[in-house]
Formats: sequence, C-alpha cells, structure tokens
Amino acid sequence: MHPFAQVILDGLFTGSTYALMAAGLALILGVVKVVNLSHGAFFSLGAYVAYVLSGKGVSNPAAAVLLACVIAFAFGVFLGKSFINPVRSHPFSVAVGSLGFAILFEQAAQMLWGPHPVSIGSGPPWGELSGVVVRRWGAVSLLASAGILGGLALFLSSRWGLPLKLISEEEEIAGSVGIDVEKIRYLTFGFASATAAAAGALLAPATSITPTMGRVPLILSLIVVIASGMENVLAIFLLAVGLGLLSNIGAYLLAPQWSYVSLLTVISLLLLLRPGGLSAADPGRDY
Amino acid sequence: MRNTTGALALGAGMLLLLPLAGLDPFLLDVLTSGFLLASYVGSWDIVGGVAGQISLGHALFFGAATYSCALLTSLAGWPFAAAGGAALLLSTGAAAVVGTMSARLKGPFIALLTLALGELAHEVMIGQTFFSPRGAYSWGGEGGVPVALPWDAPSPWAAYYGALLFLFVSAWGMRRIALSREGLVWTAISGSELTARASGVDVARHKRRAFVAAGLFAGAAGVGFAAYVGRATTTDLSLELSFQAATFAAIGGRGTVVGPVLAALILHTVFRGAGVSPAARVLLYALALLLVLRFFPAGVAGALRQRIRARKMISGGAIR
Repeated sequence: MHPFAQVILDGLFTGSTYALMAAGLALILGVVKVVNLSHGAFFSLGAYVAYVLSGKGVSNPAAAVLLACVIAFAFGVFLGKSFINPVRSHPFSVAVGSLGFAILFEQAAQMLWGPHPVSIGSGPPWGELSGVVVRRWGAVSLLASAGILGGLALFLSSRWGLPLKLISEEEEIAGSVGIDVEKIRYLTFGFASATAAAAGALLAPATSITPTMGRVPLILSLIVVIASGMENVLAIFLLAVGLGLLSNIGAYLLAPQWSYVSLLTVISLLLLLRPGGLSAADPGRDY
Repeated sequence: MRNTTGALALGAGMLLLLPLAGLDPFLLDVLTSGFLLASYVGSWDIVGGVAGQISLGHALFFGAATYSCALLTSLAGWPFAAAGGAALLLSTGAAAVVGTMSARLKGPFIALLTLALGELAHEVMIGQTFFSPRGAYSWGGEGGVPVALPWDAPSPWAAYYGALLFLFVSAWGMRRIALSREGLVWTAISGSELTARASGVDVARHKRRAFVAAGLFAGAAGVGFAAYVGRATTTDLSLELSFQAATFAAIGGRGTVVGPVLAALILHTVFRGAGVSPAARVLLYALALLLVLRFFPAGVAGALRQRIRARKMISGGAIR
C-alpha cells in the first residue's frame, strides 16, 4: 500500500506543477493564438537554472524559481516580439520555428552541460504521514503552483485581465479601442514562458535533468490544452493533475520511458478523436 | 528557368568529376551521406512543401525503412534485396496510415500529430531490445541494429556513384511528380484547402496520396542509407532528423523540390566537411532556420527568385 500511496502523492505534486506550465501554454494559445512548441525548452531552462544554482551552493527553491522566471521572461519576450509576432499568421513558420527554438536550446544545453542526465539533491523531507514521505520539492511545488495559478485566475477575472480576454475573443475590436495588441502578445508570451521555467525549476529536484527533458511536459501540456480548452483554469489544473498522476503511475508500474510513450499515444488519439479541438489556433481562416 | 537548368547541369558534372580529381575518403563519405540526406529532404518537400502539410515526423518513414532492412536481414535472415522491397512497402504503408490519420486535421495539428507519431516510434525503438539468432548479442536501444549486407567492404567509389545516381533519379522523379497533374492538385490544396474543396477536389484522398509519395521516396532514401551505413540506429527516427528535413526545405524554398535538395546537400557538406560536431550542426541549422523564417519567409531561393523577377519587370522583361 505504502509505495503506491507515495507514487500517488508525488504524482499529485508533479501534476500540479505541470498545470502551471499548461496554463502558460493555454495563455499563449488564447492571446497570441499560436501552437507554441518551444514551451518545453523553457521548462528545461528552468531545471538547468536550478541545477547550476545548486552547484553554486544555493539550494533555496525560491531563488531558483525567481531567477528562472526572469531569464525565461527575457527570452520569451525576445522570442515573442522578434519571431512569433511577425510570423504568427504563417502556421508553418510558427510550428517549425518554435520547434527550431526548442531544438536550438536542446543542443545548446547539450554542449553546455553535456548529454547525460544530471540531478540535484532533493533536500530533507518535510514530514512523514504514516509511512508516506512528504518531500520538500513536492510541498513547495504544490504551494507555488497553486499560488501562481490562483493569482492568474484572479488576474484574468479582474479588470486588468480584460484586455487579454478581449484580444482572445475579438482582436480587431481590441485594437480599435486602443489596446496595444502586439505588446500584450509578447508580454503574454514572456509571462507564459516564465511559468514553464518556474515549473522546470520546481520539478528539478524530482527528475533527472537532460537536454530533452522538456518534451514530456510539452506533450502533456498540449494534451491538457486540447482537451480542456483555455477558458477554465480549474479544468486545466484538474486535467494536468490527472495526467501527472497517470504518467507517474505508468512510470512506476512499467518503466520511466513509458510515461512519455503513453502521453504520445494519448495526444495522437486525442487529435484523431477531436480534430476540431484547439479551435483558437485557427484564427478564422483556411490554411 | 533556362539558367537554373544550366547551373544544375554544371553542378552535376562537378559532382561526377570530383572523385576522379582525387577527393580524400572523408569528403567522399561526407558527400555520399549528403546525397542520401538530400534525397530524404526532397521527399519531405513533396508532402511539406508541394502539398503544404506541416509534417514534423518525416523521420518515421526513413527510420521505418532502415529498421526493416536491419531487422529483416540480421534477425530474419532475408537477402538484402527482399528486405529493401519490404522496407519500401512498410514505409509507404506507414505514410498511408499517417496520411489517413491527418486527413481531417489542419495546419498546426498535423504538425502535432506527425511529431507525436515520430516520437512514438523513436521511443519504442529506444526501449526495444533484440537478440541475435546466433551468439548472444543484444541489439537495439540507442546503438541500433546492424544490417547484414551482401558485400563485405563496400568500395567508397561505388557507394559515391550509387548514391549520386540515386539522388539524380529520385530528385528527377520527385520533380516530375510535383509538376504532374497530381502535384498541381497538391499545390492547390497547399494554397487553400477550402478553395480546393470548393472546386470539387477530394482533399483527404489527395493529402493521403501526397503522404504516400513522400513516404515512398523517404523509404527509398532509408534503404539507401541502410545499405551505405550498414546499421539502423535511433537517430534515423529522431525528432532532430524530422526537424532537419523541414529546416532544409524552409531554407531552400518549400515546394520547389530542387531548392530543399540543394540546401541539404550544400549545408550538410559544408558543416560536416568542416568537422562541426552533430550537436553544433543541428544548433546552426536551427539558428539558420529561425533567421530564414523571419527574414526570407519564401526561403533563400524564393527570395532570390523574387529579386530576379522584380529586376526583370523593371527592365521590361528584356533580359532572360
């Protein structure tokens, strides 16, 4: 019983962090209206930031998350402003270009930190509940993700979130009432990239850090966004937690690589069964 | 167009002459693998460029061919020719399946689906182990599976000319298909699916055909690669290889077949010939891709063509 309860608890922690990343991807889909394949690279970026910091003796997760967010925001604004915004009406350029950015990062990480997995110590556990260990990274991840997601939901429902909603629904009207649509687009891209980096920095102690580690959470986030749409932050959260649990259980019962294989199978089936999903990425025209 | 043909003939002549001019074995190998890669990239352009379907899993068809060559010759003991035929059938069949699956999807979702299917095959092959029929070798995983070839040590000259001939024939064939009636229908679908459908085109069927043609040529390149390298590895199925196809095509100009083939051949020869490591090479390709997509959306060849056309219009079409 106990090993399985442990798997479920860790899956809950992992899933809540994936929810953070999926929410960022949903935001990009809703406001920038592109399918962004570079999201996983920002996840790996966050994890490597945490790794480098822990090598320098800084093991405070808050420092890692903050630094990762700032770096990812800068890169995200750059990518959004100088690449995604100008080419966003060309689906080919967006898909291949954002994948190209991810592959650029993967190769750079491979040259900087080597192709082999690295890891960082996860610190002493926070507590134990009848044999189930509550790990520090887990508790921190759950709290941080819930906090950021709650803040995001609050922001979107406040009057400050109205421009984002307007752009997502009626971008021409948003432009005509004086909203700087392009600026909000690249700022959203930067913020969303920061959420992915935060998720990576939070989960760094729990996983082995490799250059291609971002592909699993990218596929997971894409599944969440396709299946739940991007209106409802709570639906994103629940679905991401469910998938996190599923992939953790799969990794525990079979082998770690099977969690990626099962996610890939799920997304293929999902695309087949719901070809009209993700309708926001189709800005009303024919490709 | 007349000038292009002349330049292509000159390039072909030089490639035919190079080994006779005493090229060293390393460069000979670089060019031989470059010919096979260029042919694979050309096959991507059939579905990704001419038909406009964003495929990010093209390595699936290439790797399906190399793996079936390896498994059928080494494990099942088939002769190489039979295994090559079966490999072509398999990669074409895989392309038919992928084409059917993506027939209802549009733009970015085809990219997602093909990416997922390619990665799926890659992951399964990384995890799979095979035991050799004789002895206790264990094959599979990252190291891949050897191909049992009918010859012992292939002559680098024969391989060079074989690969070059294969590139000429396949590029000619792909170009013919792109300019055929079927190719025109694909171009129409690429331009606007809605318009094509409104003109009575069965879009799903023609999309599937584009995938099948591309899968056939990618499989042929895979069989050639298996025969040349003598091993099928997980690199043959990797996302990096799929990505390279789309990258070279974007740089060379999508939909022209010749542009992507030339871009692949030139960039591969320059960077690999200069001894750049594979990781750094892919990094440079990604960088080049982002710059091209941002500043020359029609590819470098497309931008040149537009410039030439503009100059012609200024001078009243007097120069040809």
